[in-house]
Amino acid sequence: MMISSFMQLRTLPAVLALAVMPAAGAVTPALDRQFEQTVKPFVAKYCIACHSGQTPAAQFDLKAYATTDLVTRDFPRWALVMQRLTAKEMPPKPIPAPPEEARQQVIDWIQALRAEEVKKSAGDPGLVLARRLSNAEYNYTIRDLTGQDMRPTREFPIDPANPAGFDNSSESLTMSPALLSKYLQAARGVAGHMVLTPDGIDFAPYPMLVETDRDKYSIQRIVDFYLRQPTDFADYFEAAWRYRYRAELGKPEATLASIAADSKVSAKYLPMVWQILQEKDAVGPIAKLQAMWRDLPAPGSDQLQTLRGWCVGMRNFVVKIRTHTAMQFAAPVVIGLPAGSQPLLNWKLYQFAAHRRDSDPNDLLSDTDPVPDVPPIPKYPDSHDEAAPHWAALSAKARAGDPDLVVPAAKRSRYEAAFAQLASVFPDAFYVKERGRYFPDDSQDKGRLLSAGYHNTMGYFRDDTPLMELILDDEGQKQLNSLWDEFDFIANLTARTWVQYFVNQSGEVRGTGNESGTARPLDQEITDEAVIKGLRHAYLVLAEADQRTDPMAFQAIRDHFDRVNATLRGLEKEHADAEPKHLEALLRFAARAYRRPLTKAERDDFLAYYHTLREKNQLSHEDAIRESVAGVLMSPDFLYRIDLVDAGMATSGSTPRVASLKTSGIPSRPLSAYSLASRLSYFLWASMPDDELLRRAAAGDLQRPDVLLAQTRRMLKDARVSGLATEFAGNWLDFRHFETNNTVDRERFPTFNNDLREAMFQEPVRFIEDLIHNDRSVLDMLYGKYTFVNPALAEHYGMPEVAGNQNTWVRVDDAGKYQRGGLLPMAVFLTQNSPGLRTSPVKRGYWVVRRVLGEVIPPPPPVVPELPADEAKSELPLRDMLAQHRANPVCAACHARFDSFGLAFEGYGPVGEARTEDLAGRSVDTHAVFPGGSQGAGMDAVIAYIREHRQADFVDNVSRKLLAYALNRSLQLSDESIIDRMESGLPANDYRFDWLVETIVASPQFLTRRVSDSREPLQPETRQPQSGDSQSRR
Amino acid sequence: MTLPLPAKNSAPRISRRAVLRGVGCTMALPWLESLQALADTPPPSAFPKRFGVVFLGCGINEDYWSAAGAGAAMKLSKTLQPLEPLKQKINVIDGLYVRALTGQGIHPAQTGSLLSGAHISKGAIIHSGISIDQMIANRVGEDTPQSSIVLACDQPMTGYHESNFSLAYSSHLSWQTPDSPVPVEVYPSLAWDNLFDNRGSLLNVSILDRVKGRAEALNRKISSTDRSKMDEYLTSVREVEKRVEGMRKSKNNADDAAKARNTVATTMDRPANGLPEDLRDHVRLMCDLIAIAFQTNQTRVASLIISRDLSAMYYPFLGVKDGHHSASHDNNSEGYERIARFHVSQYAYLASKLDSMKEGDGTVLDNTCLMFLSNLWIGREHDNSRLPVVLAGGLGGTLETGRTLNYLNAGANHRKMCGLYLSLMDRFGIELEQFGDATERLEGL
Repeated sequence: MMISSFMQLRTLPAVLALAVMPAAGAVTPALDRQFEQTVKPFVAKYCIACHSGQTPAAQFDLKAYATTDLVTRDFPRWALVMQRLTAKEMPPKPIPAPPEEARQQVIDWIQALRAEEVKKSAGDPGLVLARRLSNAEYNYTIRDLTGQDMRPTREFPIDPANPAGFDNSSESLTMSPALLSKYLQAARGVAGHMVLTPDGIDFAPYPMLVETDRDKYSIQRIVDFYLRQPTDFADYFEAAWRYRYRAELGKPEATLASIAADSKVSAKYLPMVWQILQEKDAVGPIAKLQAMWRDLPAPGSDQLQTLRGWCVGMRNFVVKIRTHTAMQFAAPVVIGLPAGSQPLLNWKLYQFAAHRRDSDPNDLLSDTDPVPDVPPIPKYPDSHDEAAPHWAALSAKARAGDPDLVVPAAKRSRYEAAFAQLASVFPDAFYVKERGRYFPDDSQDKGRLLSAGYHNTMGYFRDDTPLMELILDDEGQKQLNSLWDEFDFIANLTARTWVQYFVNQSGEVRGTGNESGTARPLDQEITDEAVIKGLRHAYLVLAEADQRTDPMAFQAIRDHFDRVNATLRGLEKEHADAEPKHLEALLRFAARAYRRPLTKAERDDFLAYYHTLREKNQLSHEDAIRESVAGVLMSPDFLYRIDLVDAGMATSGSTPRVASLKTSGIPSRPLSAYSLASRLSYFLWASMPDDELLRRAAAGDLQRPDVLLAQTRRMLKDARVSGLATEFAGNWLDFRHFETNNTVDRERFPTFNNDLREAMFQEPVRFIEDLIHNDRSVLDMLYGKYTFVNPALAEHYGMPEVAGNQNTWVRVDDAGKYQRGGLLPMAVFLTQNSPGLRTSPVKRGYWVVRRVLGEVIPPPPPVVPELPADEAKSELPLRDMLAQHRANPVCAACHARFDSFGLAFEGYGPVGEARTEDLAGRSVDTHAVFPGGSQGAGMDAVIAYIREHRQADFVDNVSRKLLAYALNRSLQLSDESIIDRMESGLPANDYRFDWLVETIVASPQFLTRRVSDSREPLQPETRQPQSGDSQSRR
Repeated sequence: MTLPLPAKNSAPRISRRAVLRGVGCTMALPWLESLQALADTPPPSAFPKRFGVVFLGCGINEDYWSAAGAGAAMKLSKTLQPLEPLKQKINVIDGLYVRALTGQGIHPAQTGSLLSGAHISKGAIIHSGISIDQMIANRVGEDTPQSSIVLACDQPMTGYHESNFSLAYSSHLSWQTPDSPVPVEVYPSLAWDNLFDNRGSLLNVSILDRVKGRAEALNRKISSTDRSKMDEYLTSVREVEKRVEGMRKSKNNADDAAKARNTVATTMDRPANGLPEDLRDHVRLMCDLIAIAFQTNQTRVASLIISRDLSAMYYPFLGVKDGHHSASHDNNSEGYERIARFHVSQYAYLASKLDSMKEGDGTVLDNTCLMFLSNLWIGREHDNSRLPVVLAGGLGGTLETGRTLNYLNAGANHRKMCGLYLSLMDRFGIELEQFGDATERLEGL
């Protein structure tokens, strides 16, 4: 690889000029004079021999600066000139050094110019144009708007970065037809996740356009709800035990309710369990359960560790009794219909569901009765046959020989009552999650969630009465009821079930086979009441035709068809009733998407558009809402951050406060409350404001310093701060796109897989999130002795095993033992800055000085020697080749400033693994001589050197980067005063990250915007200077 | 999501895919438009290649399904008789199978990945593989208003089969992702709307119009500097709108192009709302839609399920009393032979229709590969160890036709449907190392 390619250094950017000093007015005549008399001659004599012409050194043409004004406009480069002169690095060796006095004069002049400009423009908020959301911001915003992390921009082109290295500024975020098409696709993609509920609009994790996805979504929500409920009897026995021994356990005040809350069991159900354990004069299973209960060890007993086991024993006993005494039902017989006929099968399912808290007395055996024979188990019935005999035989076999079911003949009724009482407290099941054809035999047909167990045609059945009655409080019951309602509403369950049944199964009543259906009804919809009634009649006629028909069958048939009809009619009404709610929800959605209240005109416009779609475009209600949602997401109000002076004012009633902050000669005005809310949330979360923040904006007090500070602190504690950690740190430290990094040779480094890559990417994000959440010092980034690892990373680092999955992250406090701690030795940086089959001290060192310490290094000359691609195949160690390179003074001018940092990292291999030998088997040497002459070996030496000599550089760099990120623009001279405030206040504030954030948030730059119309309009395009390579890096 | 029959007063649905397509497709020059610039007889390579599948559920009557010989001398058995006039343009292929669909149960377990060869999952969560038609649509679909059309004359089912596989597997051939089948369109009227009314792009235009208006209104309220940004947005909106509008005109362009060549592009009136009562009308309309969509380059990929697996469809007009699936359990009956022959005749109808559409020196069929396929061979035995397959069309001169190919004794690794798919995808420029269970192309295709 070419050495040059690592240094795709943006030459000092171009676009910067536009942000810096839009109207560099006249400086003082004295400065002008000095420029002509002192500076220009110095430059002519010592600099322009190299820095001019066709190929100026470092692509920096000093001849171009004819006036003071031009210097001001491009000040950052001149700041560099000052740096180089101060460090006596320029002019370089062969050129004779200038006299000390002349050199100092130029330095002084540059400083004076800077001071003058800073004074003149202090507080100028700078030019921040309306800008579209960056790809990252778009993703986070969609996540927070819909509640689903869809990342629609995954396939968008990567956003270009601005000169400060961030992709969130209007300087670099442009729009194009190609991109707009992508936005349109993304908007439709997001809208495809929309799901209408009876109360409003929701979004699913996947597109909801196919019926199977709608089923999956609705089912999963119900099953998840079931699984969340505390339904393990053992938990209740354990909780009851805690109540019994509350005094001994140090909680004499505890109540059943408080213990239920502590034990996370139902406060409604626990007293019932407690009650039956206290029952007086109990017999049979209750007496036996109570005996087990009394045997539970007391607190302090040496058997206590087995408490859980005892409770499980009680549970197993109860479950056994209930399983053996559960009620059983068969479908009523109608000659000519299969047992799987839906009206008949449903009757059976309803009976099961209604009798889960009943005990079947026929399952008990009087002690005078002969022991019954164990029946033979018949083979499984056919798909359309009744499974009840099969299940009855299986149950009888399971019951056989259970002594707990044998009762004294003389007291049979009393014992039956005890079994009944036990059953009323302990249902045979709280709910049925899966159901197959041979229900309740669940040994076949696994995984049919909520299914009715029909053959072939779809069907679902709700069976959770005990859960409703015993466990759930009012709120829980309401939730579960609405989940089932929504299942029908979203997935159109009853109608689809009916139609599939009609087409594929209803032929049974006409004798055309179990499965075969019926011809399409003429001119009529299958779900019409008349069609349903017609089939109901046909079934009743068939049932009446044979005297052997089970009398229950008539009720079963009538109930079934009436229920289908009533549900369908009810749903029609529910759908009609929900339409206005969906429109309201659409307007709420739009307001959240726009991050401000809608105006009256906008509300009217949305409604009018909806009606056009329905009437003119003939869309269904759902399609029209979905289309409107897509429209919201295409609006510039969503896609762009625009500071409208009057945003939301009409509705919030407060008047804009135009108290202009007269801090500079450049006119500015406060941001509107809603713009400020957005600015804050996109800074701290890279996403939209939440409801709380918008409420403060609506209340009109967000601009109050105390409110703003309180909101800032609240938001810094929020999980969404990961947006800041990822986007700010990711771009600042240049690892943002590491998740798609493919430079590692996975054959040579087989441990490097996607999981490890993702873990490497996450490490600095987790580290910085933790730093922000816990108000830690920014210096921890350098000196922290800790880091965060997940199982994959722990293994990579040779740390003790971390149990869990890839989302399990733990803090490692003694990371130094494994040569980790802080940002510098993180594998992501070491890997990213290695070109594959070798390390790159050059890239790694360059990364440290440029990214971490903020030093500006000019680009290398066009022709540089090549280094071998594979460390294992090179004859000399890299260190020796680099030493040769530095022997050339032209190269040394720069390489001397960063190679050493990278050489000290040679103890880490190409994927950041700690190592003692390089790939060719040579032992690595981590010794380095740092700029200024101090020496040492390894990462510790780098950190010691930085602590001693460069900490201020690091602090300055973090401050500047964070400010540029927060303001969405490159910095300009007017920002120097905030930088000063940030840096000077840090030591007194323990170098806390939040100090930096709070200082920025309180600054006029953050709170105001330029009133640009009073100025000569800027034409950014025409100001783009010649070498516009700043955006081409990626 | 919707009732299988349109509710009274309810508006017709639009296919979401149609809308999604409306955007991405807009970049390429409509093919017919570009044709006008070409010479009178463009080379075959100038014409787009199309791919279509016509499906019959539950197999054929094996006593009447065979073909021998080549070209004009090809002998076709009774069920294949409807293809007699097309003998020179078809290949009858015997002996192919899909390994993933064997040995795990019947029906849905034998159907769920017929076009992908993927392993399918039992239970509540459905999972298959991207089907060959959607693979091709992903490659060539960008160039047409719709990447594919996925049609069915038989309503989908979503219950469970006794094998514990979802009937979604029985009801869908086309899978856009492994987790979701492409929803089938059963209404000819809605399929027509999506194809020729350009509903998707119409709605896109309407969205773009709205946001354009909004941006213009904003422009009056914001600073002159912000305006430069809003102008960038506005220009982009206008540009995209223009392209979408251009796509909407492609139907007219198709007509113009046909006129310029002294032929008439086939036209078709919008079918009536609702499902046609007679299956024969239904299939005919669906075939017409596919033919015209291919001819006018509205899409290049189509699949049509005439009857799905486990179909309960009735054929009173064939004198068969049982429903489709019941009849297939007696598949060597005369009645079931008539059912199979009916499907073949519809396939032949579509192929002939494509063959009647001139394209350069040849016909649209010559630039198409239209596959006839069932999921079973012998219904009564649920035997899918070999599948009935016919290919019609020369695929732009890349596929020799007029042949009978028998792979039955070629060995398990050399008679894979997925090998056939690999070979066909090659011809669409999709060169994969593996697809489904195959790593090798089908020899001798």
